[in-house]
Amino acid sequence: MPTTFGQYVPVDSPVHALDAKTKMGLVAAFAVGAFLVDRFWGLVLVAALVGGGILLARVPLRIALRGVKALSVILIFTLAAHALRWNPATVSLVRIGPLAVDAAGLRDGVFFAARIVLLVVGTSLLTLTTTPVQLTDGLERVLRPLTIVRFPAGEVAMMLTIALRFIPTTAQEAERVIIAQTARGASFDSGGPIRRARAFVPVLVPLFVNLFKRAEDLAVAMESRCYRGGAGRTRLNASAMTPRDWLVLCCGSAAVMAIGLWL
Amino acid sequence: MNARRIRSAAEIGLTIALAAVLHLVAVWQMPQGGSYSLAMLPLFVLALMRGVGPGMTAGALYGLLDLAMKPYIYHPVQVVLDYPLAYALVGLAGLLSVRWRRLHAADRPTAGVWTAVVPGIIVGALGRYAAHVASGVIFFSSYALELGEAPLWYSLVYNSFVLLSAVACAFAVVAVLPPLQSAFGVRER
Repeated sequence: MPTTFGQYVPVDSPVHALDAKTKMGLVAAFAVGAFLVDRFWGLVLVAALVGGGILLARVPLRIALRGVKALSVILIFTLAAHALRWNPATVSLVRIGPLAVDAAGLRDGVFFAARIVLLVVGTSLLTLTTTPVQLTDGLERVLRPLTIVRFPAGEVAMMLTIALRFIPTTAQEAERVIIAQTARGASFDSGGPIRRARAFVPVLVPLFVNLFKRAEDLAVAMESRCYRGGAGRTRLNASAMTPRDWLVLCCGSAAVMAIGLWL
Repeated sequence: MNARRIRSAAEIGLTIALAAVLHLVAVWQMPQGGSYSLAMLPLFVLALMRGVGPGMTAGALYGLLDLAMKPYIYHPVQVVLDYPLAYALVGLAGLLSVRWRRLHAADRPTAGVWTAVVPGIIVGALGRYAAHVASGVIFFSSYALELGEAPLWYSLVYNSFVLLSAVACAFAVVAVLPPLQSAFGVRER
């Protein structure tokens, strides 16, 4: 069973040094800007931005492009939906029986497939350069203005922090129970989906029992330490937006939105 | 913040952790980013035991965590539909929570399973399915413009893994929920 979670690549780089909130803002602007691009030149500029981001982040290209492999079927589908024609009346690039490849359609297919790849690779730079803890911390700060409308941003951050803290513990427990059940002759990787789900029941029961017992212990521990929600809570490693963060956020967002709107 | 709320926050946090771990045991990974796993199972259990509020909160936060860990972003709207909203709608299973608790307390667990747990899972799974289908329609409409009216059908078929996953979860929920309800259903404090 895999126990790694998240995609963070621990490297010392200027992108890693940016505040999580800055990177979240940039990714949001990038997703909108790159989606608005509808010319090849715009896509080339977006590709240059993504390439520059990967270089600056010092993330190995192999890791940055890891997510593209999972897209293969959807990319083939996008290309085929645009390029293939059934018995067309016009002249085609290639023709095999009634099936033909249309030149203009192929160009559109390549454009859309390239945009998907750039969107996925560009947005994954956030998780490649930011730890899960930094991400939840950033999310809390993004959501903080909503406390005006009584949104419990502090509680949300606490729940996510608890989740991140206990993922390794729960994964180890699950692994231990799976090994114990396998030693007793249980099989988890044979049969159909229903059979597999039923095979997991002896693993799930102890995991759920531990979940509720631990929640009770955790609640008692938090209460006895006077936890009263997010208001007035301080952090050991507080992070804040520096002037450099603001500069990168403003210039980066403006650049990508300009590409999206004009190209 | 009272003791009940603190315990609820702890339960939601730990439920998200278990969902994330069960997601790692994915049986099959879909090319567009979906997967067949038991990740929905803890969300169903929490929703049926504690109600629609904790269920939807846990779902939405799990969706955000999933987005942060393994993002597949093709469209600005798809981000919301495929991650926080899709999983939050799993928590709709909690709409049948009161009925399940009442029947379980009346020592009628079999009736509870058939008239509350199974319908609850169906509601939650259809909620998530609807969000993914809507996202798929946006995707296929944006990237495969030549398909005409086909995007809805492609999306309905492509996202059917959610229903398969829900059926698998239903078998597991029926097995684990009654003993958990007996042991942890009533909060002591």
